Amino acid sequence: MATLIGHSSILIIAVPLLIAFLTPLIGMASKKARNAVVIVSLAFVAFLVFALARDVILNGIHIYTLGATFPGLTIPEGTMVPVRIILEVDGVSVFMGIIVAIVSLVAVIYSLSAMKGETGQNRFYTLLLLMVGGTFGMVFTGDLFNLFVFLEITSISGAALIAFRTRFADSQEGGFKYIVVSAIASLMILFAIGLLYAQYNLLNIGALAAAIQYTMLDRIALVILISAFVMKLGGVPMHMWLSDTYSVAPVSITVLLIAASQASMYALMRICFTLYGVTLDLAVVGWIIIAIGILSMFIGVTMAVRQTDITRLIAYNCVCEAGFMLVGLGVGLAVLGDVTALRTYGTAAISGAIFHVINHALFEGLLFLVAGAIFYRIGTRDLNQMGGLGHTMKFTAMFFLLGALASSGIPPFNGFASKILIYESVYQFNPILTIIGIFVSIITLAVFVKAFFSAFTGASLPKYEDIKEVPKSMIAAMTILAVIIIIFGLFPGLVVDWIVRPATDALVGQTSYINAIVGVIP
Amino acid sequence: MTLIVESGYDFWNPIIWLIAFAVVMVIVYFFRRRGEGKYKKGEDQAQIFLCGEEVPGAEQRQVRGGNAYWGFLETLKEYYDGIVRPHTGIVNDYVVWFIAVVAISAIILFVVELVG
Repeated sequence: MATLIGHSSILIIAVPLLIAFLTPLIGMASKKARNAVVIVSLAFVAFLVFALARDVILNGIHIYTLGATFPGLTIPEGTMVPVRIILEVDGVSVFMGIIVAIVSLVAVIYSLSAMKGETGQNRFYTLLLLMVGGTFGMVFTGDLFNLFVFLEITSISGAALIAFRTRFADSQEGGFKYIVVSAIASLMILFAIGLLYAQYNLLNIGALAAAIQYTMLDRIALVILISAFVMKLGGVPMHMWLSDTYSVAPVSITVLLIAASQASMYALMRICFTLYGVTLDLAVVGWIIIAIGILSMFIGVTMAVRQTDITRLIAYNCVCEAGFMLVGLGVGLAVLGDVTALRTYGTAAISGAIFHVINHALFEGLLFLVAGAIFYRIGTRDLNQMGGLGHTMKFTAMFFLLGALASSGIPPFNGFASKILIYESVYQFNPILTIIGIFVSIITLAVFVKAFFSAFTGASLPKYEDIKEVPKSMIAAMTILAVIIIIFGLFPGLVVDWIVRPATDALVGQTSYINAIVGVIP
Repeated sequence: MTLIVESGYDFWNPIIWLIAFAVVMVIVYFFRRRGEGKYKKGEDQAQIFLCGEEVPGAEQRQVRGGNAYWGFLETLKEYYDGIVRPHTGIVNDYVVWFIAVVAISAIILFVVELVG
């Protein structure tokens, strides 16, 4: 078991990538065997993620150096700096890994029925596993160039999956937009990495963090990195691709896209807190992130109000929720250099933002799965065409209500727990931010009241009287997310203690991340 | 390790909230029990009554998603005209917004550096 955990970080990335290339071969022999292999491999990966999480929380940062004589040998003999590919998994990496593990397993279970009638399923599962492997790579790597490579893997497979149902013109348009936006972001990130590499001759995040001087070029790299990752996570005003792509992808893929966007949120945190840390103009960069967050909250939710396409409505709500996380992170970053403020409310703001990352993936994921279930049965996403579906799709209606209440921050669901952490901590920084947050939450509730009322309530429409509940695997996938939402809502203290606080400590404790790399000298 | 979340300013305990919610539900149930008990499901008293007019079919009765919040959207028409306009759906425009954010952020950072 110890050996397995020792190699778990690379296995978590390698298993989905390896199975991705085996999937078409197995699929040629048997579809059932292919489905079983995909589920078992992702369940195994999820097991490894939880085992690794336990190990990281108990024993500290997990280092894995590829090609070294032992995994902890970060700096080879005869060199002064880390040159190999190094996976560095700390509290925040493993926290993101847990999100990807849960979401990917749920996406595959849902896809078993949702994608049953589609052609080219071998390719679908290959691309899905590539995307999962890429996302895990993004959150586990300790190397900037690898971050770019894994971002590319995630983006290319994601674009192909968005456009997977080629019979829909809007899916192809969505895939095209995603690849253009992702390519621009990736290239700009590569350019920024080049600026850093040209100055410091380093690509390892920990080693770079130890060396960074915050020169003019570092500032340019910082601006590009922040802007590119904010675009990838759907921050306003670079959010417009998000509603165009989330709404047209198969919903199981939309759930994975949320995880991929959260990986970009992770990269943003890593860049700001770990790579640059206290060398930054903390207040200025913090306020830039807060401003983007406030804009995302406000424009996201007001755009959601006017939507009549249920998936676009949820997509705009994703923009809004990303705003909450950005505000929490921005406040934490703005006070990073002030020990008293950081201790009083800064860490709580960061914890709230981090807690909201996983909550967002869960309740938005659930809402998208419900929207997909509706589309699966009635063939439309248009709220004007819906009504009375709660009479026949009772479980789906319940799941939507649960996701909507959680997203709106209604107690006792998980969204409330993370939002109250953000509200109360941010209030001590600037009360206006909290007032805007509460106002946005109220509008969010109004958005989902409209969606629930239009889709599920009212008299049963004659054209939908024969509609049945969705297949069991889709119900099972939604149930998994619903159960986790309820557990996280009822026991938020345990979630914060077990996974959120270690992630917060990892972000704030830049020195530990650096020492794990440059401190191990042969 | 506790069951509550502390924000440094206050705390949140969902178990206490659930207990309070259960107490309120018991009180609501108590009042409901004291209400009229003669309602019979499926009889005329359960039918929709529109001043004696013919009740339209379910398709006509349903308030559609596009009609919800009409007043809200109409009142904020100018705001919505303003924020919907940049949502062109053209990917070139999306890239322009990215460039704009990079430029504005860079200017802010450099101005602060110069002033500071």
